[in-house]
Amino acid sequence: MDFAISSIIFYAFAAMALICACCVIFASNPVTSAMSMALCFAATAGILFGLGAQFLGIVQIIVYAGAILVLFLFVVMMLDIKTEEEDNSFSVFSSLLRMAPGVLVAGVFGALVFLAAIKLPGATDWNNPLCQAWNSMSELCVGKQEAAPQTEVSDFGGALPALNPAAAAKVLNPAISEEEAAAATSMPDTKLLGQKLFSQYNIAFVILSFALLAGTVGAVALSRKIRKD
Amino acid sequence: MSLFDTIWNWCVDLLSNEIWFYLITTVVKLVLMFAVILAFVVLSVWIERRVAGWIQDRPGPNRAGIPLQLFRQFGSKEKQPLKEWLHFFGIPETCWIAKLCTWLRLDREIPTFGLMQPCLDGGKLFLKQELTPSYVRKVYFTIAPMLVLGPPMVATAVIPFASSVSTDFGVINMVVANIGIGPLWIFAISGLSVYGLTLAGWSSNSKYPFLGGLRATAQLISYEVAMGLSIIPLLMMFSTLNMQDIVQYQADNGWTLLPLWGEGLSWQRWAMMLPLGLSFLIFVTCVFAEANRTPFDMAECETDLVGGYHSEYSSMKFASFFMGEYAAMVIGSALVVTLFLGGWSIGFGADAALHSVCSWLAVFCQFIMFLIKLVAFIVFFVWVRWTLPRFRWDQVMKLGWLVFLELAVANIFLTAAVLYFVK
Repeated sequence: MDFAISSIIFYAFAAMALICACCVIFASNPVTSAMSMALCFAATAGILFGLGAQFLGIVQIIVYAGAILVLFLFVVMMLDIKTEEEDNSFSVFSSLLRMAPGVLVAGVFGALVFLAAIKLPGATDWNNPLCQAWNSMSELCVGKQEAAPQTEVSDFGGALPALNPAAAAKVLNPAISEEEAAAATSMPDTKLLGQKLFSQYNIAFVILSFALLAGTVGAVALSRKIRKD
Repeated sequence: MSLFDTIWNWCVDLLSNEIWFYLITTVVKLVLMFAVILAFVVLSVWIERRVAGWIQDRPGPNRAGIPLQLFRQFGSKEKQPLKEWLHFFGIPETCWIAKLCTWLRLDREIPTFGLMQPCLDGGKLFLKQELTPSYVRKVYFTIAPMLVLGPPMVATAVIPFASSVSTDFGVINMVVANIGIGPLWIFAISGLSVYGLTLAGWSSNSKYPFLGGLRATAQLISYEVAMGLSIIPLLMMFSTLNMQDIVQYQADNGWTLLPLWGEGLSWQRWAMMLPLGLSFLIFVTCVFAEANRTPFDMAECETDLVGGYHSEYSSMKFASFFMGEYAAMVIGSALVVTLFLGGWSIGFGADAALHSVCSWLAVFCQFIMFLIKLVAFIVFFVWVRWTLPRFRWDQVMKLGWLVFLELAVANIFLTAAVLYFVK
């Protein structure tokens, strides 16, 4: 039940995010683009909620949908950018030529994401039709060789930790017993994130904060009018 | 087996199922919370006008009742129902009871002390002609009022209105969504209403609404920063983001601003009062600014901007903006009550005592207490509106960025110091 609902949430919001992302590009009105982008962020936040990462989801809404995108909209409205007009002067060939780099970049990026995704633990041994199809296809490709070993190690950070409320409770408080950990129902992702950010990644966090501060100071320095009097 | 038993057993079976129990209780809580918020939107309009009348030394709307003319079958105007009732009980028409009833206008209407006025206003706005100017951008013009009214309604989901009750079927937590990010949820969702204001200003395609929309955007974004920073001292003390846990802490250890029992009696807790008081001041001011209320109603100040972002709106679309503003005010009040004034907690250890008697009674009393606190804070809201003059636009911006932001950041360090050296 739990699993089914989270899957439904994931696919519904993922589809919504993709459709909205396409709308951002294809809408001729810049305000429609901006609003589609807001919806896209909201859908991404929905995916994060569905995965139990409530803090990340809400930060997505506060920071992107609530602040950054409002500023986008603000600027678009202030400049009063007119609706793009259809331009028919290009031939089919030149429009294909214009599309080619975009398609190429999208294809390479999609392939990278796909390759990373199939190396995630449990991605290839999961009993879903997509993975079965992939398995049978890889068997076809490699001929009589054995199927790729079912790896639990990602390319990026060594072994990935288990991601469930019980494991999270265990990380947060190692003294906790197995039963108590199993009774944990929600992910305390705010606490987990805070602990990681302020212990393991503290230096990186401080350096990034200074980078942002430098950016802010630079923006103020550039936009400030110095009075002559 | 009687029909009643069958239905009863069916209900028990249904509630024994964990998922159905969760769904049913959630829907009931959802409807209750929604009804409370909508009722409070109406009530706060009435409070606003009555308090305004009181402050300006005039009665305000105190007449609108339910006219008995509506109930024709009880008698026409000549055949007064009041006279019939008096006759029925054998009371003479010159008796003091009859005079009191006449003074209360019981011969003409069911008195509601003017509470019917907002409903009648709503009816009037509903029946008015809907006038959409020809030069507006229709799609955004239509969805803007929805984007203003919707977010405050969604944001109520995390506000706890009573503690929890354990029944035979499971524990009912008296909050619609008991998630671990309570205040952030409210900030995020009610922050989305800025889209409504901006789009209303832009899609109206005329100058005053556009300026109003721009002002609203700038103001809401500016004050959101200080608002988010101002509650960090609180979160440092509670060390949780779950609203129900926050209120439970206050019920056990004294309200944030009134620590008179539990742990609140220690001097260490009182040493926290300086940063907490400061954060209350900043937070309440930011709530005023976020709700677009005087002294911060720059977005719709009629002396500068006619009606601000809703100048071009009429009928029910205008009413949606109006209701959205009051809904934001109710949510803001509920948030302040929950974070600073103890939420549903009755205080002085009465919560635990009532719970040991009967948890349903405790929950009911806590719900009533929450509503009382909410009304009290709404009155405060209105009181401020009719007391303080409006700021100038540059003053609002300066106050937000140069005073409150710095104060809020300094307050975080002050709280850290107090927590480090005192506790």
